[in-house]
Amino acid sequence: MLAFTISLLGVLTYRSHLISSLLCLEGIILSLFIISTLTTLNIHFSLANIIPIALLVFAAREAAVGLALLISLSNTYGLDHIHNLNLLQC
Amino acid sequence: MTYVLFTLSVLLVMGFVGFSSKPSPIYGGLALIVSGVVGCMIILNYGGAYLGLVMFLIYLGGMMVVFGYTAAMAIEEYPETWGSGFEVFGCFLVGLMMEVGLVLWVLEFDEVVVVVSLNDMGNWVVFEGEGLELVRGDSIGAGALYDYGRWLVVVAGWTLFVGVYIVIEITRGN
Repeated sequence: MLAFTISLLGVLTYRSHLISSLLCLEGIILSLFIISTLTTLNIHFSLANIIPIALLVFAAREAAVGLALLISLSNTYGLDHIHNLNLLQC
Repeated sequence: MTYVLFTLSVLLVMGFVGFSSKPSPIYGGLALIVSGVVGCMIILNYGGAYLGLVMFLIYLGGMMVVFGYTAAMAIEEYPETWGSGFEVFGCFLVGLMMEVGLVLWVLEFDEVVVVVSLNDMGNWVVFEGEGLELVRGDSIGAGALYDYGRWLVVVAGWTLFVGVYIVIEITRGN
């Protein structure tokens, strides 16, 4: 819904920190969880309750991978600013 | 009583605007926790007790704690909040104004059709079943994960194991 679009805009725009984009990714996943849960509860389709839980499983895993990348970035550069990602400068 | 869900949905969007305007990560995590709590109350109002509890435990308790520790490791000394600087406060204010405008528009006329149609109260009324139920619907449905969804459990478990290995390999560096 509306919250998903706002978080999507938050992921697509950069500021100085990488972790704030990961936070907006978490917001996308939260909004998807709420949408799927409300849809399943409203039409009383009990079997589709699996979908939000499975979504949480994979979302936790990708958040952890994103954080690990951020930690590796922070280990080599000290902070996680976006302008540190400049190895491919032309 | 129907207006409770409407108010909670407005609060949810405002919380999302709060961390999408990108203050420093600590305050963004705070706004995400607030949004998670409001979303959990929305789910509880729909009658999904088990799924709300799952969200509280796993999402807020697990992932937000991990995010908090990682943000404490990777940020600088003077975090910028919503009040400092012009960009963050401006984004937050623009988002809030748009949300307030949308709410007033929905309350005036009964329907808003932009891309998705937002009706006034019709979306937020739950279709109730008849009578009392002995078995809670959503916890039984989630329990079917281990019966009909055996293969999904195996795939998810293997994915988590591979994910742990990936994280270890990434943080090993070199």
